[in-house]
Amino acid sequence: MTLWRLEWLRLVRTRRLVAILAVYLFFGITGPFTVRYLGDILGRAGTGRIKFELPPPVPADGIAQFVGNASQIGLLVVVLVSASALAFDARREMAIFLRTRVDSVGRILVPALAVNTIAAVAGFVLGVAATWYETAVLIGAPPVGRMLIGLAYGVLFLAFAVATVAAVASVVRGTLAAAGVSLVALLVLAVLGNIGWLAHWVPTGLAGALGAIVRDADPVDYLPAVGVSIVLTGLLIWFATVMGSRREI
Amino acid sequence: MIVSTTGLTKRYGTHTALDGVDLAVPEGSVYGLVGPNGAGKTTLLALLAGLRKPTAGELTIAVAKRKVALLPDTPQFDPWLTGREVVELARGLMGVAADPDRVLADAGLADAADRRVGGYSRGMLQRLGLAATIVGEPEVLLLDEPASALDPAGRREVLDLIARMRGHATVILSSHILGDVQEVCDTVGVLRAGRLLFQGPIANLLVGRAVPAYRIKLRPPTDGVAAALRALPWVTGVEPDGPDTLRCNVSSLAEAESRLPGALAEAGARVVSLAPLAPDLEDVFLELTS
Repeated sequence: MTLWRLEWLRLVRTRRLVAILAVYLFFGITGPFTVRYLGDILGRAGTGRIKFELPPPVPADGIAQFVGNASQIGLLVVVLVSASALAFDARREMAIFLRTRVDSVGRILVPALAVNTIAAVAGFVLGVAATWYETAVLIGAPPVGRMLIGLAYGVLFLAFAVATVAAVASVVRGTLAAAGVSLVALLVLAVLGNIGWLAHWVPTGLAGALGAIVRDADPVDYLPAVGVSIVLTGLLIWFATVMGSRREI
Repeated sequence: MIVSTTGLTKRYGTHTALDGVDLAVPEGSVYGLVGPNGAGKTTLLALLAGLRKPTAGELTIAVAKRKVALLPDTPQFDPWLTGREVVELARGLMGVAADPDRVLADAGLADAADRRVGGYSRGMLQRLGLAATIVGEPEVLLLDEPASALDPAGRREVLDLIARMRGHATVILSSHILGDVQEVCDTVGVLRAGRLLFQGPIANLLVGRAVPAYRIKLRPPTDGVAAALRALPWVTGVEPDGPDTLRCNVSSLAEAESRLPGALAEAGARVVSLAPLAPDLEDVFLELTS
């Protein structure tokens, strides 16, 4: 038994992997469906005196609907699941079991970080694949190249988000505290992303890149955020390792 | 010495948890760490395990860090793992080739090995913790209250397990159960308020503290017997010591050995039992820490 298998079992036996995959898949299926039939749904819900007229949906609308949901509810689930693994000091007795049997905290941190990032990416890819299929069937095929670039940006953002949880968990001890502080930090970044010149630099901008790029945004505009995300992800992992090593149990 | 500390001090803000502790643990010994709540036992074990850093002082452990294992007083594991998986994980992390089944059997968990840990009782968790610790073949084993959660049978198994480790590993255990410490430990350290009040072989702690007294259990009535004993010149005092039991302090045990049976017979006492009072660790502990 290795720590890699431990993290895999944590995801599988606690159904956390199912939760991540199900959330992204659900929004992947319902996003394009909602966009395609929104006019009909509103029409049937109305009293007959109000008539809804919506412009015909385009493939980018289906993708944007998925991205909107996935970047909020999906991210929330990813952060909660990651925190449950990365806050390994939350219970002193369990922390003693792991920490007294490894030479460095990195040996515990890396599998937890990697397995949870892979799970988050798997969920996101599954959701994007479902969105792609549904959009192609119901609305029209989205551009493949732009979809893949947006997907790559989304994957990078998820890696950054999980690294953020790891860094926070090395400072605060509880699972819920780690998840809560991480979400606040990501929210603050998202707010900063609304400030003019910062928009293309903050990593949270990558969360919605898929929808924007499929519509008409230039993928090159996101390169500063890509660079910042890669650098910050590395720094956050380094920070988590250093702070985790210093922490007293 | 396999474990030694010099002036080991640990402060949490203004609170001093350990104050200049000079610990000396002989290799292969079973060292009992006793002290009231808040004495600093858990802090000392955490420092020895490398989980906390000392504020001052030096700490030397003559084995690799990987060969030092700590078992907390209430071990916890991910509830969705089986007992066997916990032991296999511990073995994998330590990189040793020990047989998990044998270790689980030694801990009395052979039948529960494939059950999820979430369904284990507290006593089973403690035994699983011990199994997961022993499987790593540690050279220094730190046990924090290892028998505190166990029923009498489980406690006996754990004490036997610790006793069997003598000579194979150095064991440092903290315990509130002084009888356990007296039974399995050959060396003892008494902590109070972060200070090490005594350290050495248990025999050295007890020697010189023998009280010249006898405990006499009688058939009632006992009042007449007590009065007769008080009148004897070599009896320094007689006090009730439980129902139908007297504690008889004498000027010397040798004198009592030759005269006490006859004195009891002359007083018409119906003696159920008669035994000299031996000092135990609890008496000495209370004397040291009071």
